[in-house]
Amino acid sequence: MSAPATPRAIAWSRRGATLAESWRVYRRDRGGLVGLALLVVIVALAVLAPVLTDGSGLNVTRVDAAPLQPPSASHWLGTDESGRSVLLLTWWGARMSLVIGLAAAALSVVIGTVVGVLAAHFGGWTSTLLMRFTDFFLVLPALVLAIALSTVLTRGLGTIVLAIGVTSWPQTARLVRAQTLTVETRPYIERAKALGGGHRHVIGKHVLPAVLPLVFATTTLTVASAIIAESTLSFLGLGDPSRVSWGAMLKSAMDTGAVTAGAWWYLLPPGLGIAIVVLSFTLCGRALETVFNPRLRGVGA
Amino acid sequence: MTQVSEAPERVRPRGERSLRLARLVGAKIGGGLVSLFLVAVLGFLLFRVLPGDPARAMTRGAPVSAEQLAALRHRFGLDQPLWKQFLDFLVNLLHGDLGVSYTYSRPVAELIAERFWPTVLLTGTSTVIAVLLGLWMGTRAAWRHGGTFDRLSSSVALSLWSVPTFWLGLILLMALGVGVGPLPGLFPVSGMSAPDVPPGLLPRVLDTAHHLVLPCVTMVAVVYAQYLMVMRSSLLEEMGEDYLTTARAKGLREDLVRRRHAVPNALLPTVTLIFLHLGLVVAGAITVETVFSWPGLGLLTYEALRGPDLPLLQGTFIVLAGSVIVMNILADLLYHVLDPRVRGS
Amino acid sequence: MSPILRLRDTSVSYLRDGELVPAVRGVNLSLDAGETLGLAGESGCGKTTLAMSVLHLLPRSARLDGEVLLDGHDVRTLSWGELRAARWSSASVVFQGAMHALNPVRSIGAQIAEPMRLHEGKQSESRLRERIAELLEQVELPVRRVDAHPHELSGGQRQRVMIAMALACGPRLLIADEPTTALDVVVQSQILELLGRLVSERDIALMMISHDLSVLSSSCSELAVMYQGELVEQGPTDRVMADPGHEHSRALAAAFPTVGDSRFRFAPAGTRPSEEASSAEPGSALLAARGVSVNFGSGDGIHAVREVNLEVADNEILALVGQSGSGKTTLARTLLGLQRPSSGRVLFDGAELATSTRGLRRYRGQVQLVLQDPTGALNPRHTVYEAVAEGLRIHGATSDERDRVTEALEAAELRPAESFFARFPHELSGGQRQRVVIAGALVLRPSVLVADEPVASLDATVRGEILALLLRLRVERGLSTLVITHDLGLAWTIADRVAVMYQGHIVEEGEVEQVLLNPAHDYTRTLLAAVPSLREQPATER
Repeated sequence: MSAPATPRAIAWSRRGATLAESWRVYRRDRGGLVGLALLVVIVALAVLAPVLTDGSGLNVTRVDAAPLQPPSASHWLGTDESGRSVLLLTWWGARMSLVIGLAAAALSVVIGTVVGVLAAHFGGWTSTLLMRFTDFFLVLPALVLAIALSTVLTRGLGTIVLAIGVTSWPQTARLVRAQTLTVETRPYIERAKALGGGHRHVIGKHVLPAVLPLVFATTTLTVASAIIAESTLSFLGLGDPSRVSWGAMLKSAMDTGAVTAGAWWYLLPPGLGIAIVVLSFTLCGRALETVFNPRLRGVGA
Repeated sequence: MTQVSEAPERVRPRGERSLRLARLVGAKIGGGLVSLFLVAVLGFLLFRVLPGDPARAMTRGAPVSAEQLAALRHRFGLDQPLWKQFLDFLVNLLHGDLGVSYTYSRPVAELIAERFWPTVLLTGTSTVIAVLLGLWMGTRAAWRHGGTFDRLSSSVALSLWSVPTFWLGLILLMALGVGVGPLPGLFPVSGMSAPDVPPGLLPRVLDTAHHLVLPCVTMVAVVYAQYLMVMRSSLLEEMGEDYLTTARAKGLREDLVRRRHAVPNALLPTVTLIFLHLGLVVAGAITVETVFSWPGLGLLTYEALRGPDLPLLQGTFIVLAGSVIVMNILADLLYHVLDPRVRGS
Repeated sequence: MSPILRLRDTSVSYLRDGELVPAVRGVNLSLDAGETLGLAGESGCGKTTLAMSVLHLLPRSARLDGEVLLDGHDVRTLSWGELRAARWSSASVVFQGAMHALNPVRSIGAQIAEPMRLHEGKQSESRLRERIAELLEQVELPVRRVDAHPHELSGGQRQRVMIAMALACGPRLLIADEPTTALDVVVQSQILELLGRLVSERDIALMMISHDLSVLSSSCSELAVMYQGELVEQGPTDRVMADPGHEHSRALAAAFPTVGDSRFRFAPAGTRPSEEASSAEPGSALLAARGVSVNFGSGDGIHAVREVNLEVADNEILALVGQSGSGKTTLARTLLGLQRPSSGRVLFDGAELATSTRGLRRYRGQVQLVLQDPTGALNPRHTVYEAVAEGLRIHGATSDERDRVTEALEAAELRPAESFFARFPHELSGGQRQRVVIAGALVLRPSVLVADEPVASLDATVRGEILALLLRLRVERGLSTLVITHDLGLAWTIADRVAVMYQGHIVEEGEVEQVLLNPAHDYTRTLLAAVPSLREQPATER
């Protein structure tokens, strides 16, 4: 390392080294690597879908293939009940799952982090109230609430994101609160207060930097459950009717009798798509947890 | 010389202890009642306030005159101020009156009562199986952690956890219900009883059990992973504790160290988590019942949201959320009885 | 008869990242019935590893070489069954930190009964209960507490339970691993006395492990000093204490000063400039508490601090001495403005402490805190530079930041300062970390330093250095220091005045020589008698 000029530069170069170290630990987790590789491929395919495929194949009025055809040379994964290519549907469905999963997870994690940090940092009756609120939503069956919300609001992308986001934050809030509480008992918080640091200083310089890595890991796991929730809502017919999604595909497979007709080619791809994306996010999230939570290192598999 | 005591002794007379327990039970039940009240508030807000004018929803877009609408509003008390409406709603709720379903034209409470027990049967059976399976596998995985069983069970659990419940249900329905290729279907694909069951208790029980297999397997497959993971990590945490070294130093065999010390202590936090995850079981029930047409609350919810039949949906929402909350209060109390650490403080 | 324990060329190594790292190297020891051996050493010297090897309780990654003969049998060659039979019945262990060494969810009676059931076969429940009651009586615990759980007991009581448990199967060897480390001095001496009595009554051998030479010297007839995995010195306690042969033994002995021994008094009254001494009158005090009380909880809550008057004068070191729970840390937090007093006033330079955020911030530039545990007091994510500069950034004094950080680090004797800038706390030794914490306080150029147990978590040999640094800061910069400690020896070493706190009250206050050599209050005498001290102390028999 060449001698950097300012102490700030030193600090940043040391942080870079820490990041490299984290990556080194992450790399040791084979599941995490597989998950990451899969995600890179899936995200790339989803983003490039309009370039690589012809979106007009999704329009029912523009297709001329026979309905519910098993896989063949022209349709590698067969066709659905209106003759559309299952491969094309699955490909485009990935976009929906990823967008909603990421957006809902982001919303949920932001709410959870704010509630968790505030509840832990301020204590007193603010904390009691916030935690009671959190506990209430924690035991409330999230899917039932999400169903209720998406039933009474207008169908659409925003509604699903909202319905999943506002029902899945309590876990994050609890986790962040617990983590914040541990950080707050550390003597360096007391030292920062004795140095004259106020709430903003303590939260901004000490609590958030210590909590955020874990939040990052949680976000990854929340994306996974948000994708499951999205597919479930779509399967129940609460999704955005104007867009292709994996859950909606499975709904039509069930409603149109594809299942009882044994149309496995229609049933397997969207389900496997969900499973693979969810598994990849879960694997990445668990690997990140091991990186950021040294207590788990060496103990977890 | 003054006698310097090392700390005030923390002895509590027995009477005081039972008083504390009574106060604790009171506090928990009080908290639970507040939660139940919140469920009612949420139910009111979600289905009476958010959707806009319920009278319009009732007419479902049919052309009606302003007078007819006003009459409808008056009949259902919708011309009253909001707080008055909520009060009426609450009073009705306490009397077990959940309104009338649009689609069935029958009282919601009656419909829910019909569908309640099938759901209890399905979720109860699957929860018990999933808990036993998950705890057993989690214990084994943690004790030999890093071993073949651990790696295998963890990856299987993780994969099953990543699968949406309803998709697994559809696959099982296709493979074992309808049959694939030359294989015949082994289990019924829908409902909880066949129309042509011979009379008598035993045939009926067997028939219901036959219908229960597929939905139950589906739910267990998705839910047990949670319990496995929780038990595994809880036990792993316990395994690093010093008191296990004490137990070993006393000359206990490894399996006794595990059975007597580590596992009971790891089970305690697991109990709470099992009940916290009940919401997931309910979520599973909705989709599984939908897939297998199991005549329970889940299927009723699905039928309601297709309408949408708001009074019915409101009813199932309140009942499902309410039961999960009640179960959690019970779990909380159970935990306080089981764990001496919280019992004392 | 063969000795109960004989170690011949015993070595232990741990497998780490594919390499064998030695923890204990070639130790030879032998212990007979009725003998008491003290094993001394700093943390990480291998003493606990050595103790665990006696019962073969080492983790799987450990490799044990040489001979460990327990009752004539080599534990390395025993089958698992034989080893289990030997555990607890031949030798038992009193573990460090009884809170974690006891199962938190089983009653203490059940835990004491467990080894008896295991090793002695069937016996009637009533007989078992009788014996548990007997054991509890012997360790001076009320028998009715038999159904209590560990969390319902105090630290001293838990340690008594551990001792009762260790004696349950009548072992011939007792291994006590830091049995009193987390305890207060008074409780500590009670436990040591109990342990000594039980061991001599039953004619069993005792191997006691501690980092604290004074604890060992008051309760063991033989001493062995361990350093980096090797025994560097062994012999009768008298000889080792009076004439330590190895320099490490000397360093260990010096770290636990004897009250009253002028060799350990770094701060004789003469070093204080006389004109400053006169300024120590009431009124001219730099930092003062006037009738301060602190209550926690409402109504009949805990009265942590009651009606305390205390003054820290310009250019003096005041030691506030008391056991844990005496309210000394709460008082310190109140003086720092981190805790609001329930009644009374805190004065700095004659003016009452501000309550506004801005006023408090200005005040905190003047009075700084040094915490007990330097490892926890530094954010593991911040470099040394950031940790020291933190105060400056909070107070917005960033124009000459680099120079002031350099100066503070050098004042804390971290030289050259630049070489420490980029380091993270985990790359420093315990002593260096505490210096960084001190530098972080000095950078604001305060006039008072409040040091809460500043050396309690440091290794024995580093303590002296940190205390010397505090003393030098007073001499060179006129920095007043309030040192909070449970350790009378520390007060003797560096303080000018001492105040003794007991149950929220200041019971005695005065010049160090006066208070510690001629204590007026009963509690001070109790504390002094409880200090496990060297031979000069008349309170011990030896």
